Amino acid sequence: MITGRVFDIQQFCTHDGPGIRTVVFLKGCPLHCVWCHNPEGIAPRPILSYLEARCTGCLRCAEACEHEVHQWNDRGKHVVNRDRCIGCGRCVTACPNGALELVGRDMTVDDVLARLMIDLPFFLASGGGLTLSGGEPLSQPDFTESLLRATQTAGIHSLIETSGFATWSTFEKVLPYVDGFLYDIKETDSSRHKELTGQGNERILQNLRQLHDCGADVTVRMPIVPGLNDHQAHLDAVDAMMAEMPRLKGPEVMPYHPLGRSKCARFGFDDHDLATLNLSRLKGRSGSER
Amino acid sequence: MTDMLTISGGQVRTESATESRLSQETHDLAAKYQAGIVGRSMKRCAFGDPKSLDGLPPATQNAKAVEMLANHAPLRIDADELLVGSATLLEATWHQVPFLNTPSTSHVTVSLEKLLRLGYAGLREQVSERLSRGDLRPDQVTYLQAIGTSIDAAGVWHRRHVDALRELHDAANSQQQRNKLTSLLATMAKVPENPPTNFREAIQTLWEAWTFQRLCGNWPSIGRIDWFLGPYLKKDLAAGTITLDEARELLAHFWIKGSEWIGAEGAFGTGYSGDAQFYQNVILAGIDENGDEVVNEVTYLVLDVIEELHISDFPIAVRVSARTPEALWRKIAQCQRHGGGIVSIYNEDLVIRALTRFGYPLEEARSFTNDGCWEVIIPGKTSFSYVPFDTLAILQDLLQIDEDAEIPAYESFEDLYTAYREALSVALDKFADECNRWCPANAQISPLLSLFVDNCVENGADYHDYGPNYTVRSPHAGGLPDVANSLHVINQMVYVDRKASLAEIVTGMRANWNGHESLQNRCANDYLLYGNADPLADAMARRLFDDYVTLVSQLPKTGDLLFPPGISTFGREQEWRNNRLATATGKPAHSILAPNLSASAGTERRGVTGVVRSFCSMNFEALPNGVPLDLMLSPSSLAGDNGLNALVGLLKTFIQLGGWYLQINVVDRATLLEAQKHPDQFPNLTVRISGWSARFATLCPEWQEMIIERTSLALS
Repeated sequence: MITGRVFDIQQFCTHDGPGIRTVVFLKGCPLHCVWCHNPEGIAPRPILSYLEARCTGCLRCAEACEHEVHQWNDRGKHVVNRDRCIGCGRCVTACPNGALELVGRDMTVDDVLARLMIDLPFFLASGGGLTLSGGEPLSQPDFTESLLRATQTAGIHSLIETSGFATWSTFEKVLPYVDGFLYDIKETDSSRHKELTGQGNERILQNLRQLHDCGADVTVRMPIVPGLNDHQAHLDAVDAMMAEMPRLKGPEVMPYHPLGRSKCARFGFDDHDLATLNLSRLKGRSGSER
Repeated sequence: MTDMLTISGGQVRTESATESRLSQETHDLAAKYQAGIVGRSMKRCAFGDPKSLDGLPPATQNAKAVEMLANHAPLRIDADELLVGSATLLEATWHQVPFLNTPSTSHVTVSLEKLLRLGYAGLREQVSERLSRGDLRPDQVTYLQAIGTSIDAAGVWHRRHVDALRELHDAANSQQQRNKLTSLLATMAKVPENPPTNFREAIQTLWEAWTFQRLCGNWPSIGRIDWFLGPYLKKDLAAGTITLDEARELLAHFWIKGSEWIGAEGAFGTGYSGDAQFYQNVILAGIDENGDEVVNEVTYLVLDVIEELHISDFPIAVRVSARTPEALWRKIAQCQRHGGGIVSIYNEDLVIRALTRFGYPLEEARSFTNDGCWEVIIPGKTSFSYVPFDTLAILQDLLQIDEDAEIPAYESFEDLYTAYREALSVALDKFADECNRWCPANAQISPLLSLFVDNCVENGADYHDYGPNYTVRSPHAGGLPDVANSLHVINQMVYVDRKASLAEIVTGMRANWNGHESLQNRCANDYLLYGNADPLADAMARRLFDDYVTLVSQLPKTGDLLFPPGISTFGREQEWRNNRLATATGKPAHSILAPNLSASAGTERRGVTGVVRSFCSMNFEALPNGVPLDLMLSPSSLAGDNGLNALVGLLKTFIQLGGWYLQINVVDRATLLEAQKHPDQFPNLTVRISGWSARFATLCPEWQEMIIERTSLALS
């Protein structure tokens, strides 16, 4: 049976499409945006989360681990050697304090559907549904397609929140089963895009045009990070693009928030330092109104 | 997975301010009352000597006290207010009858609409008619005479106001002031002695009757204000004698003056939770006795007022159903989104089904209100009280957590469950026995209150002496979610998965889990608990629920007492924590556990929708006194148009799934923590628990902490 690797499911979401929605976060993303707010979703494999506040230093994780991931340094501090971790989860089971968690688990379509069915009456009463997010949901195309087939059969409205960085054939695969896309345009200048995300934007813009041309329901979203992609040329280029593709909805501005940084310690990522959002530069642009 | 912080496009938005429909003068007046300036000016009763009433029958004593109060209580008259009358004595805010200093009555909704139909003249007529039949015992005659005295006292108090207004009028030095007073005098000319003929007279009558009750210490609720007042307004609007704006101002003054006890020194509740509470709920919308929709202009005007002035006393509940107009749903959601949990909802059709199934006639069931808090009653016909008890304490005793005795052994889960049900049954028998041996509380007898409760005049008997049609003693079970969770974990760990023995778990609990952390962790985390829409955990909760209501229905009754079961903790999970030991769900001793029938803090992993689904899976038709669900939602999750859509969707789904009563607080943890630190900056931040609302900043630290605990669902 096909499984997807899910790193979170959140219920009663109200900012990820219309109505009350359940957001399913799939692991794996081809981009590496410098501001990423879900950095635990980038790698396809499960990764270990360690909450220092809950650790009592009982050493049970170290005893359970065969790969010496958990060690204590001279000052008695718990060090997590993530490069050695194979994601077996033995330490998670051994930890009596809930300090360790494996983020990313394999779920079948039925597993996910069971979670969605809890919320079906809320979807129907509010015009909500499923939003597939990530990571990049199109990086798990087979699972995404199967899940969307199932939600369509169950009468659950569905949206994909995507970076647009996927092959067109992947889009074609899911198009018959999905009700719409929340489509990120992060930077219109391709070389800037590559600096910020690790990839150029040609494929993203190409896919957007094709989605528009085939009549898909697409809402453009603009994550805006002050000092990085809030320059006038980008804003103007998005305006021009929207004018050229009149059936696109949006653009919705997604102001940068620093919450992703709070996760860095748990997953052992380097913190990045970004200026706080300068909202005044974004005046006149709408938020996620629908 | 619960504490994983995944950010899904958080938006920064500013809400447009509420449309301002009320005058600046009314806003200023509201600010004055809300700041407690009026409440702080209240004085103790300083006239007469209660000893002078020694030896009189209790009813006569109360009526004489009412007479004293009507004659001598200080009046507060302000020509800038649109309604006249004020409950000015401090003792009343202490849940006492001023002058007598005896305990007074709350948790009651009377039928003040009688006064609108008949006036005091008509009520006096009823008393005379009853006396004239000549079939009463002497004590009943004395009782009805006391009611007569109380009616006359209301007239005296009215005339004192008219005289004072007239004096003010004659002394007024501006034409504008004189005009205002002329208008008030015109309204006061015929009512409340005679039935009102227009909206102004009707709202003055209602206000004056209610505040006179409060002056005399009683704390009745008003109930269905739109049902009483709507027809008067409709007629006046059609005749062109009032505008909607004028009517809204009048209702605003009703709400503002209704908060006149804010700031009263030593008011009831301040020594307990920190903030005062006077059980003065109002219910809007729904159907009337004939099944016709009540919703009218007054319904929306009241919501306008509280949305704009943010006055949380009177707390509002709206009766909703599949028939509720979309405009009303959105209005409710808008008021809720402003925060402070001012508007709650009842599932009208479900409540009516539960009441008729319990045995009330359909017409009476259709007229249901709450009792001033959230418990459901038949208004104007019910003498109500409830008896709370902790069902988790029963499990603790059964498992002998507090003792060194041999650990009880149960061969199968069924053996354990049967033993628990038996212990629950014993506790309920004890409850019934105590109720059945109950004697009327002479000290609380109030002819003035009983005047507005059906059959007290007919029976010549007081509210507290089986005068009304129904005398209700509702058992209120608390702790059921924690019992269900404990039994679920024990069943799974011990009898299904065989991961641990009952002795091991009980040993861990006896040690408060110290030295048993690994087992504690598994007990806490291996199974989804109630509040997550988990089929097994919910089935255990349903089984307990069903057994509880069945056991209550089998209780022996003597006389006319009714035992409709209810479920609540209100805030008792706070006081109960002192006696609570470690639980089989891995919680240490003295934890704050589940409020009402909600999830226990920190065990909900499916968000608000999971809590709602678990809650709504119970068969509330068998729970005629009802149960509240309190939810906390963060303001950011409800921002924007879609936030409002989502909130409306949540409310509708709750009703559709068969929930009973829902109270939503829109506030985030950060704000509460901030308010705890800087109370002066958050004087009007209101939180509501079931029928009770309080200004957060005034609560004592333990209650603040309990409310912050409840924000675990406020996901942003």
